[in-house]
Amino acid sequence: MNELLARSLEASTVFLLAALGELVNQRSGILNVGLEGLMLFGGTAAFLVAQSTGSYPAGLAAGIAVGGLLGWIHGLFSIRLRGDQVVSGMGLWILSFGLTTYLGSPHTGPLGLPRFPALVGLSPFVYCGTLLVAAVWFVLSRTSLGLAIRSVGESPAAAAASGVNVAGIRYLCVVFGGTLAGLAGAAYTLSYNPVWNYNFLMGWGFVSLALVFFSMWNPWVLLGGSVLFGAMWQLSLSPEYVLPGVLSRYVWRTVPFGVTIAILTVISTPWFRTRWGLAKPQALGVPYTD
Amino acid sequence: MRIGAYRLSVERAEAPSPPRVALGALLAVALALLLASVLFWTPESGPWTAYRIAFGYAFANPSGLGATVHRAVYLLLCTLAFLIPLRGGLWNIGLPGQVYAGALAAFAVPFWAGARELGSGTAGGVALLSMPLAAALAGASLGALVGLLRAKLAVNEILVTMMLNSVMFWLVSDFIKEGGAFMSATAEGESFTLPEAFRPPLPLGLPPSAFLGLAAAVVVDFVFSRAAAGYRVRTFGLNPQAARYAGIDPVRVSLWVFVLGGAFSGLAGYHYFAAVPGLYKIPTNYGYYGDLSFYGIICALIARGSAVGAVPMALLFAGLSVGGRFAQGALRLPFGVDYAILGLLMTTFVFSHLVDRYRVVWRRTAPAPTSAPPRPEGAR
Repeated sequence: MNELLARSLEASTVFLLAALGELVNQRSGILNVGLEGLMLFGGTAAFLVAQSTGSYPAGLAAGIAVGGLLGWIHGLFSIRLRGDQVVSGMGLWILSFGLTTYLGSPHTGPLGLPRFPALVGLSPFVYCGTLLVAAVWFVLSRTSLGLAIRSVGESPAAAAASGVNVAGIRYLCVVFGGTLAGLAGAAYTLSYNPVWNYNFLMGWGFVSLALVFFSMWNPWVLLGGSVLFGAMWQLSLSPEYVLPGVLSRYVWRTVPFGVTIAILTVISTPWFRTRWGLAKPQALGVPYTD
Repeated sequence: MRIGAYRLSVERAEAPSPPRVALGALLAVALALLLASVLFWTPESGPWTAYRIAFGYAFANPSGLGATVHRAVYLLLCTLAFLIPLRGGLWNIGLPGQVYAGALAAFAVPFWAGARELGSGTAGGVALLSMPLAAALAGASLGALVGLLRAKLAVNEILVTMMLNSVMFWLVSDFIKEGGAFMSATAEGESFTLPEAFRPPLPLGLPPSAFLGLAAAVVVDFVFSRAAAGYRVRTFGLNPQAARYAGIDPVRVSLWVFVLGGAFSGLAGYHYFAAVPGLYKIPTNYGYYGDLSFYGIICALIARGSAVGAVPMALLFAGLSVGGRFAQGALRLPFGVDYAILGLLMTTFVFSHLVDRYRVVWRRTAPAPTSAPPRPEGAR
């Protein structure tokens, strides 16, 4: 059971890291639906570099750098060129899906390194993710930088009029979001499941994207949602802990996705919206023209 | 940038002309092929050899050509499934899930007819017609769920369709693996093979779904350019707020574009798994076929929403994926050349989309001389 708990927390951390970066992205008004692509690329880069150099830090650095670079490309298209953010995000996802399949397939199989070092029985990414939640909450709600991020996400014109560099803040956020997505991919391929496979994420990035909506753009709610989803994901892989012998293991694998749709539906109902009030950034997905 | 008396600047172009859009699409494909040549580069052979092998197999080899045409029909149906919601401003990326739903529904017909146990069975016209109908209905039902959630509650359709893709992927596994209802009696991990009586006729070597796909492409373009229903969908896609003021019901539009899109994806699932000679089953690697449906997104985007314009795109991309995979084996390249080309095509499309929105403008900054400058005294 302890093993199940530890694995659940590791799974939660992958969701959390990707979703936390996207949360910051979205608070600045930029939507990146290609989050799964950034995770795929970050995870593949981390895996390939770690395998070829035998060094986990090198792998991590590669994953983070690739994620940040892709985040910047998304920013270039969305902020500087004022393109359609959905088109850019979908482009990044399909590009990543295609290229990582090609680049990673000769390396299909286990990483071949000693297990990622644990800290008090847990992956260090778990602590890192929790600390990042606290840091992001503090920056967003207690600092002038956070105020600037929130203001460009709500009303970029008003933010610009008060002297905020809208493009600069948004670039900062998309690159930060990209690095965390790359880190999430690296956490997956180096620690959670150190085996490279074709399209190894199979929806993790999209679940992370959905988690941002569930969280109502609040980092602490996001942490709770990630823990819940991590546990649910792990239980869907090991249903014998809950209901042994009931339904096939394939049906259990559909549960996290079905629950995601159900929660998305509930939080979209007028009842939920009026009662809890979604804190959706007003300028989310809208290109800013100064 | 200033060059002599001229200033060169890049400005936003509000409405690119149709020839410019067509040129942008062609350039996007050409650039993707140029970039893909890097993937084909090996110490033994250059990209030209690889392209010669790929296109030679896809379009000049009889068995390769057959595979290309069948795949093109599949891609065309997937293109229609993406294109119809796109004209309404909605993204249907649930193509794989709807394809799997269609395949399962199509195989449910012979399963209920007892054909799995008999291995042959007798099928009349009703059973043959029921298979594509069941497939279209299953895809449409999945699409209807997405359309309703989008229309009634504004639930993000990208997230819902992606979740449904994963749900359907695992449900197919449940049906064809580890004693699943459709599992083959002789091979683990794939469905039973469709008895001959349940295979559709092949006039001109093509299943009826091929003709249906081509006819549908013409009808879809006609509806979008000439019919009131198409006008309503386009208006909603361009400006949902204005559409509401014009009395267009957003619920009906969102619902129907997803129902139609889902129906075409379902038919694509029927076509590839139940109507293509040589397959007639849901194979172990069904995920590969499901993911190929994403080419439908590229076809629709590069054809800029024209269903008929997507036909040559579907044929080209089908040839590229079939031939690319053949060249991959012949030249011992890594797995995934076809997916890599898919990624490159999407990237070049994004850039061509961008190029459409901007134009390069030359402007004279100094006044043009009105007459020849006076000659200095003494000059001849």
